[in-house]
Amino acid sequence: MIGERLSFQIGLILPSVLVLLLFQVVPIFIGTDASFRRWSLYDPDKTWVGLEHYRYVLSDTNFLFTVLPNTFLLIVASVGLSLALGMAVALLLHRGIAAQRLVQTVVLLPLMIGPVIASTMMRWTFNDQFGVVNAFLGWLGLGQPAWLADRWYAFGVIVFTDVWIWTPWFALLLLAGLKSLPKEPFEAAALDAAGRWRIFTHITVPMLRPVIGVCVVIRAIDCFRTFDQVWLLTGGGPARSTEVFSIYVFMEAFQNLNFARGSAAAVIGTLIIMVAGLALYALINRFMDVSR
Amino acid sequence: MSLASSGSSLPRRTGLFDMLRPGARAAFMTLAVSAVLLLFLAPIIILVVTSLRPGWGVYYIYRGTEFTLANYVEVFQRGVVIEAFFNSFLVATAATVLSLGVTVTSGYMLSRFKGWLPKTWFTSIYVFRTVPYISWVLPLYVVNESLGLYDTFFGILAAHVAVHVCFFSWIMKGFFDGIDPSMEYAAMIDGCTRWGAFRRVALPAAGPAIAALGILSWLWTWNEFLFALILTGNRTPLLTVTMAQFVTELGTEWNLMSAMAVMAMIPAVIITLFAQKYVIQGLRI
Repeated sequence: MIGERLSFQIGLILPSVLVLLLFQVVPIFIGTDASFRRWSLYDPDKTWVGLEHYRYVLSDTNFLFTVLPNTFLLIVASVGLSLALGMAVALLLHRGIAAQRLVQTVVLLPLMIGPVIASTMMRWTFNDQFGVVNAFLGWLGLGQPAWLADRWYAFGVIVFTDVWIWTPWFALLLLAGLKSLPKEPFEAAALDAAGRWRIFTHITVPMLRPVIGVCVVIRAIDCFRTFDQVWLLTGGGPARSTEVFSIYVFMEAFQNLNFARGSAAAVIGTLIIMVAGLALYALINRFMDVSR
Repeated sequence: MSLASSGSSLPRRTGLFDMLRPGARAAFMTLAVSAVLLLFLAPIIILVVTSLRPGWGVYYIYRGTEFTLANYVEVFQRGVVIEAFFNSFLVATAATVLSLGVTVTSGYMLSRFKGWLPKTWFTSIYVFRTVPYISWVLPLYVVNESLGLYDTFFGILAAHVAVHVCFFSWIMKGFFDGIDPSMEYAAMIDGCTRWGAFRRVALPAAGPAIAALGILSWLWTWNEFLFALILTGNRTPLLTVTMAQFVTELGTEWNLMSAMAVMAMIPAVIITLFAQKYVIQGLRI
């Protein structure tokens, strides 16, 4: 017999557990199973082929030298820049500026309108012939690059779009963090006649470290699965040079119509981000302990 | 101590900002604020202006003064657009109600109990939140296909509820952590069952926070793209995928695409303007 207390606990989580099992855990098992088989129309038996697909993906130069570096570069660039910019916006809002509510509303907008609309507008803004960015550059007499036709320009636009979307998230969470800090250390520093920059680096940042750490870990893990921005801005092009992990899986499964190979890539990516996520979490935890 | 020695004799370490005169400081702040406003507002303004330009004027949106609402009319004349808005509205609403309903008890359990079961559940949530969406949506596509759920309302709804289970349970735990459980104990002493204490005491107290999360959940589902791209087709058009399809052999119909994007943006703008307090509360982690 299970106790009344335990049965209450089970009852509380049962709906969530069922949904998670049916629509995430079972598909993950099916996908993992498929990654060891030949999955095509002319092979109805779905013959077991062992690690063949894994061998393919792990020896695919595109996956190793374009997709994975792109994915991690996007994480570093996007998280780093949105954190820096988000901190600047948070400090600005924390100072108490004129038109505070207007600024807060505008800053919130990118997060609310979502990546699909954001990427659509960025693709138009950075259009090589008719985009506003190139019109402005032309007016300044500068060069007008074909933004989405060159690997690094296109990657830059992807990073810019991601930073545009996620800076508000960092700004809001850091602002909440700033508001919850005690005032005394700042008053003491002011009495000690410390400069603004020193106050920022010696008091604000160390005290905000837990918030910064949590934000960075969450955002870095989520950034690994980025799909919408890249798909809508470049589709992984030109010539598959801006593909990231999720796009690679999608292309293998739906463009090359090789579901099993796509699944193998998906399993590899999942393992990578789990290890990376755990390492990141441990690192940040340690980092925060040291600072305390 | 350093506090005691702080006198006017100490030179004040000054940065560039402090060397500026008050007037210049104000100018600097105005400039910074304007830069932030421009950065976050300009792409949206460009989109709105594009949606108001006639088809032939769209390529030089910064020239010419012809404005028209014809794009909006034309977009709505396409049956699929109306259908897509309707479907997205339905999916977003149903997914929000269901995922809140499923996770509110799970978050309560995580917050109020200690032991092996909550610990195991919390770890599972943590692990499954890390799994990239494509890694389970890709096989889910095969599952849906074989069950005849591909391109159906239920198929896409299930994915949306599933994706929220981990994250929402975690957030809801935070909500309940902020509520003092002593009222629930009091209710149980007065004869309430555990379920009664949850339903009559804890649930109403967490109400505002749950509403805040609900608003965000609705918007996230409304804006979602990957699930819609993989799990739906022509029978169940959703707005994000329909919007991405304004591409013809002649190129992208930017004026129509923008008109649809502006309309898809309306809920987000309304929520940002009128429910900002809730949004900020719901975004806490």
